[in-house]
Amino acid sequence: MKRLLRLPSVWRLTLLFLIALVFQSCSEQKIKESTDETPNITEFIRANPDYSLFLEILDITNYASFMNTYGTYTMFLPTNEAVQEYMSDLGVNSLSQIPLDDLQALVKLHILEQKINTTEFTDGKLATPSMYGQYLITGAANNNNVSSTTVNKTANVVVSNIETGNGIIHVIDQVLRVATKTLAERIEADPNLSLFTEVLKATGWYEKLNQPITSDENNVSNFLTVLAQTNEVYNTTTWKNPANGQTITLNTIENLKLRYSKPIGNNPADPTNPADSLNLYVQYRIIPGLNYLADFATTPVFLTKAPLEVISSKLKGQDILLNEDVFNGVLEEGVGMIRTLSDETCSNGVLHYVDGNFSIKKRLPSPVYFDLCDQPEYANNTANYRKDGGLSFGFKKGDMADVIWTGSSSYTLDWNPYGTAANGDLCRVFRFRVGSGGLNDIEFTTPVIIKGRYKIWVSYCQNPRASTDTKVFFNGVQTSRLINQREYPNDPANLTSGLTDRVLESQGYKRYIFPYVHSSRLYSRLAGIVEVETTGRHKIKFVTTSCSGCGGGDADRWDVVEFRPVDMDQIWPKFRAGYKSQPGVSSGNDLNGDYLISREEADKGDNGNNGY
Amino acid sequence: MQTKIKTIIALFILFVSASSCDNYLDLRPENGIVRDEFWKTKEDIQAAVIGIYSSMLNSPPDVSDLTLTEYLFMYGELRGDMLLAGPNVSEDQRDIMNANIIASNELTSWAAFYRTINYCNTVIDLAPAVRSEDPTLTQMQLNHFLSEALAIRGYLYFTLARTFKDVPLKLKATLTDQDNYQIPVSTQAEVFAQVIKDLKLADEYAVEDYGDNASNKGRITSYAINAMLADVYLWTESYQEAYDATKKVTDSGKFALIEASASTWYNSVFAVGNSSESIFEFQYTSSNLPPFYNIFLQRPQFRAGALVMEEVFGIDFDDPVNTKDIRGDRASLVGATGEIYKFTGLNNEERKALQDSDTHWFVYRYADVLLMQAEASARLQGQGQEGKGQEALDIIANLRLKRKALLQTEQNVSAGDPDGIIDYILAERARELAFEGKRWYDVLRVARANNYARLNLLIDLAVKTAPANQQQSIIAKLRDYNSHYLPINTYELYTNKALEQNPFYK
Repeated sequence: MKRLLRLPSVWRLTLLFLIALVFQSCSEQKIKESTDETPNITEFIRANPDYSLFLEILDITNYASFMNTYGTYTMFLPTNEAVQEYMSDLGVNSLSQIPLDDLQALVKLHILEQKINTTEFTDGKLATPSMYGQYLITGAANNNNVSSTTVNKTANVVVSNIETGNGIIHVIDQVLRVATKTLAERIEADPNLSLFTEVLKATGWYEKLNQPITSDENNVSNFLTVLAQTNEVYNTTTWKNPANGQTITLNTIENLKLRYSKPIGNNPADPTNPADSLNLYVQYRIIPGLNYLADFATTPVFLTKAPLEVISSKLKGQDILLNEDVFNGVLEEGVGMIRTLSDETCSNGVLHYVDGNFSIKKRLPSPVYFDLCDQPEYANNTANYRKDGGLSFGFKKGDMADVIWTGSSSYTLDWNPYGTAANGDLCRVFRFRVGSGGLNDIEFTTPVIIKGRYKIWVSYCQNPRASTDTKVFFNGVQTSRLINQREYPNDPANLTSGLTDRVLESQGYKRYIFPYVHSSRLYSRLAGIVEVETTGRHKIKFVTTSCSGCGGGDADRWDVVEFRPVDMDQIWPKFRAGYKSQPGVSSGNDLNGDYLISREEADKGDNGNNGY
Repeated sequence: MQTKIKTIIALFILFVSASSCDNYLDLRPENGIVRDEFWKTKEDIQAAVIGIYSSMLNSPPDVSDLTLTEYLFMYGELRGDMLLAGPNVSEDQRDIMNANIIASNELTSWAAFYRTINYCNTVIDLAPAVRSEDPTLTQMQLNHFLSEALAIRGYLYFTLARTFKDVPLKLKATLTDQDNYQIPVSTQAEVFAQVIKDLKLADEYAVEDYGDNASNKGRITSYAINAMLADVYLWTESYQEAYDATKKVTDSGKFALIEASASTWYNSVFAVGNSSESIFEFQYTSSNLPPFYNIFLQRPQFRAGALVMEEVFGIDFDDPVNTKDIRGDRASLVGATGEIYKFTGLNNEERKALQDSDTHWFVYRYADVLLMQAEASARLQGQGQEGKGQEALDIIANLRLKRKALLQTEQNVSAGDPDGIIDYILAERARELAFEGKRWYDVLRVARANNYARLNLLIDLAVKTAPANQQQSIIAKLRDYNSHYLPINTYELYTNKALEQNPFYK
């Protein structure tokens, strides 16, 4: 001991330190390794005896461990009563009696690979398909004054939005069933669709609707949406045969064949021929893709299987109406969809019921004069819009429903009064230029244009600082000519340079306001010829690519975009200047008050120059 | 050496132990007042009562929730049909507008309401004892203070019960941590009954005139109490009582509709406030600004619905500039852009500047009471009191005349058609009280009367406003009466285990 004390102090300290180390406890320190203790989906189910039967299914199918892994899932979890009901429907006593494949499909139908809260539910399908591949549809239903969210129409959500570590659970009171019938089988199984089934069989579409789903090289599945008509609808559909003047009810396959199926050329009528009208009649009722009622409520136009024929759809009050359109100012009444019966999921698509007969409408191309100021947002400003003394006003990016653009979000697209223009106004872009300091491109949604071949005329107001090379895109395809908005109109009264309308037209220009007034700056330029492939609303876009010398004051202004069928006169009718303040009242050359001047109404030439 | 050290230590210990320590061991806060030092004089009560009012204007600095005004606006308008989401709308706001409501939505937090309710409870519990401390406090003065606290508590419970249906009724102040916080909900009917009881007592104690205009409009008067009472009675379908309560206001001769002259009406009623049309307003000032400038103008969370201008106020297309309802364009909203203008404008032409945007929040205005009187009259006509229908129509006609309402919004209703008159009143209330936090409550009140005889009003409203792809779900949900009320916030359920969630949201 004495020797120990005599050791140098360094050694003594070291010794002390070592002794301290020896007495240190060596027990393992517990470090919390997880940041979250929330149970995963399987753990949650295991902890709740209410869901033991579904857990059993998960165990049998070996999905239990999978549902305990990291991820973001949505599970629709049936209660025990739901599973028991499912078992008694199948007539089995234990889950092991059900074929494994069926159970696997069933489980996959209940799981989505994305976390979806009930706030994202709509009246239609969920955005993500189930792991089985079929989409689930959501909605809400009311029973005895108690409302609940539903899945696939029949299952009620009992407890919603249970957060777990790897996703979210919604408890449902019925097992969701895999749709096994194809569209054809489903249609045939409904006795009310017997005539529709006959039509399908006569045209060869029954087989096509009976095919299982396949995917193309881009992994897009060939789901179909069918709009079926019940026998009652056919019973109320009559047709007057122009051949003999008799009116018949289209409630037998023979009558339908008589009505629609016609010989083509020298060939006899053959409904299986895709060009046959009865075949087209069926094609027009089949829409590629999965479209539920909610899609019909939000999507205005659907392309059908009939080549380039479209069905329009709109929500009016609570009704979804197909083909209810305004053509040339006349409202054509549409056909309603039957909400209670529709949204039937089949293995290869979805089936809807409509409560009226409808068929392809044959329409001939007709001109559309699209005044770019015909925008609902402008029209709301009643104090200024198309009013005497009205002042310019505009909207910023994102504020207009039918006009979009890229570039500056602080500059506006304006309504601009201009008394001598058509409708007395121009659509003005504040800074139409490249880069973030202006509006780079402006895309308008046109009114409905009937399919056909059209010439597009763009009229503008000349400005010395406007864009010199405006490109015009129709449905994303550039037209053949650029527009130089610094070009003045040709003055017909000028004896040396004045050109007649027809000569001017051959060069791709026209004076579109009648009468032409000396030093007018309004001019129309032929942008090109386009093929409008479907009847419906389309997109026209103006793009500028350069900005030479466009300092301040580069106000580009457009008036009317004319879509004239190629076989129509491209010059007449011209437009009358000013607001439509007194439609129908004769004024000046406008004898019928339609604010268009036809060739017959124009009694004199432009400013004394007699050339037309 | 050793002794020296010991001496020093001894001296130090002596020094430390001998010095007084009551100062640094004192637990009393240095920057506040504790209860037993407060509640001594009538000035203390006055300060506490004014504190109640100021808690309604803006939240205390240490809490992060929204102002009570914003909750009142949103609860009354979000689910109505006059609002659209603006560019700065929050996810929670949008969810309520689309009837996608779940309990974790933060806007369902009622903390701001119960905070002020507790201030009221504190005054009601502790003020009476001051009588024994301060001989200069008369029973009359004490009653006046109690009336203010009772009425505000009543109004807040009324709003909670209209919004959440069943809510916990806490009528005693929460003073210590030992107080019981685990209180179950009372039914909506029980809450309404308590509110009526409180308001009646408040009316007995009430002040008629504080002697200055700002206090008469910014503090609870007997007229404000009767306006509240009328509102509650309309909800409990006690129409005779509602009618009598409105009569106390309209017969007082203290209020009048201001003639619609040029642009002074908007300026005096809304921009300046405390006008002869005003009954009770939250008194924002330029040093205590309201939230409106931010949420309606600078970073707009809300806009007026696209059709409000045309369908609610109407537009005279022949002369939209001169012939117009003075409540419409550039009063309630800017027709062209849908901007909500009522709370940010100075007059019909200019907006206020940010630092001067002190527009009040209007809890009750005279026109509101008049229309409540018309509603009670129409209901009484429905119960067989002849002549009341005509009385209701006269009230509407007079109001429309004063407001220069357009011919196209006039409805031809016969005096014997109570439902028709009530539809007319609903439309008139939409015009008169646009964006004042009333719309949803108005439609719900009319829809739920007579055991939801007119549920279709709510469904029509959904058809008008619902997103197209959710319309059917929203309508199905509205058929469940419990869905008309907001859920209890998840956090409240977590902290108060005695609460029970509205069954619709389970």
